[in-house]
Amino acid sequence: MTLYQVQQCLFDYLRAMEDAPPGPKPDISTEGYELTDAERTALASGDVGAFYTMGVHPVIINGYCRAMGYKRADYRPLLAGVAAEPRRTRWQTS
Amino acid sequence: MADLVMAYCASHAPMMAADRESAPPEKAKNFFGALETVRDRARDLDVQAVVMLSGEHFTNFFLANLPQIAIGLGEGHQGPLEKWLNIPKTIVPGDPGLGQHLLEETVAAGFQPALSHKLKADHGFMTVYYELDPTMRMPMVPIILNCTTPPLMTLRQSYDFGVALGDAIRSYPGLDRIALVGGGGLSHFVGEPRVGDIDEEFDRWFLRQLESGDFSELFDMPNDELAVAGNGTGEVRAWVAVAGAVPDRRARTLAYEAIYEWINGMGVVLFE
Repeated sequence: MTLYQVQQCLFDYLRAMEDAPPGPKPDISTEGYELTDAERTALASGDVGAFYTMGVHPVIINGYCRAMGYKRADYRPLLAGVAAEPRRTRWQTS
Repeated sequence: MADLVMAYCASHAPMMAADRESAPPEKAKNFFGALETVRDRARDLDVQAVVMLSGEHFTNFFLANLPQIAIGLGEGHQGPLEKWLNIPKTIVPGDPGLGQHLLEETVAAGFQPALSHKLKADHGFMTVYYELDPTMRMPMVPIILNCTTPPLMTLRQSYDFGVALGDAIRSYPGLDRIALVGGGGLSHFVGEPRVGDIDEEFDRWFLRQLESGDFSELFDMPNDELAVAGNGTGEVRAWVAVAGAVPDRRARTLAYEAIYEWINGMGVVLFE
């Protein structure tokens, strides 16, 4: 029920990172956010798979991964096991 | 009254500005060639201002306050916000009179866009705007659409908003020649396991729907089906809105390339 707080925490972190000097990334500060233990753990460890599973907005995940320097090929391992079920659509011919 | 002299849509992948050379040369040439075509046409038509639609990327709004539509009324728009985008940082001139008119007329037509006197222009606007006017002196009225945070406008609703927007542009007494541009799409995946995929089949199907002038399949498509083509693909709402603004014109695809290096289906469509 505190998903918004998780997303606000990540958003605030990313905004702060925009002005951060080059070099190692600081840890995410979870002070001041109403979070469960699991959410705090996910944020502290930068667990992208957990972010995705708990429903963090993909634009925020994208920003986080960009800030961490992850590349395109990193997404699948980071998000292993959370792929959506295939679905038929009207534009598919095969 | 103003003439809506030009309407087109183009993809706005950040990499088209951040790492232009990373694309296969022929694909990049085709895509940027189409953008040159519309730039030349805008110059020939002596466009005085551009109204531009783009999706929200949590640049101006966030989950504490997120409108479905927001119209920029500012005197200027700071952009681009992304430091890594190879576009000079500037203040793009706005057109508060035009923006206010669009706001009033679309509200009168039954829509409820938010207003902002302080919108900033991220890659969603700046990549396409910079290709339209590299001097960045052409006044722009930015219009932000929520394309990623449900509940979302359907494509039908986007089209209907476009109808109202087109009427509003044509009823503006302050200018003679205005362009309308939709930025975003085509298929791409953001912050999820399929990042890097492009749904070429969707892109080509979508372009065929636009070119046919028969939007019934698009209007019939629920948002969750559209999302199968990518969770960033919903930015095609801007394209459908532009189609609604110029119902007497047919879309012509100037370019389509699946550019995997830019993780985006890249298209340019001109309505003529």
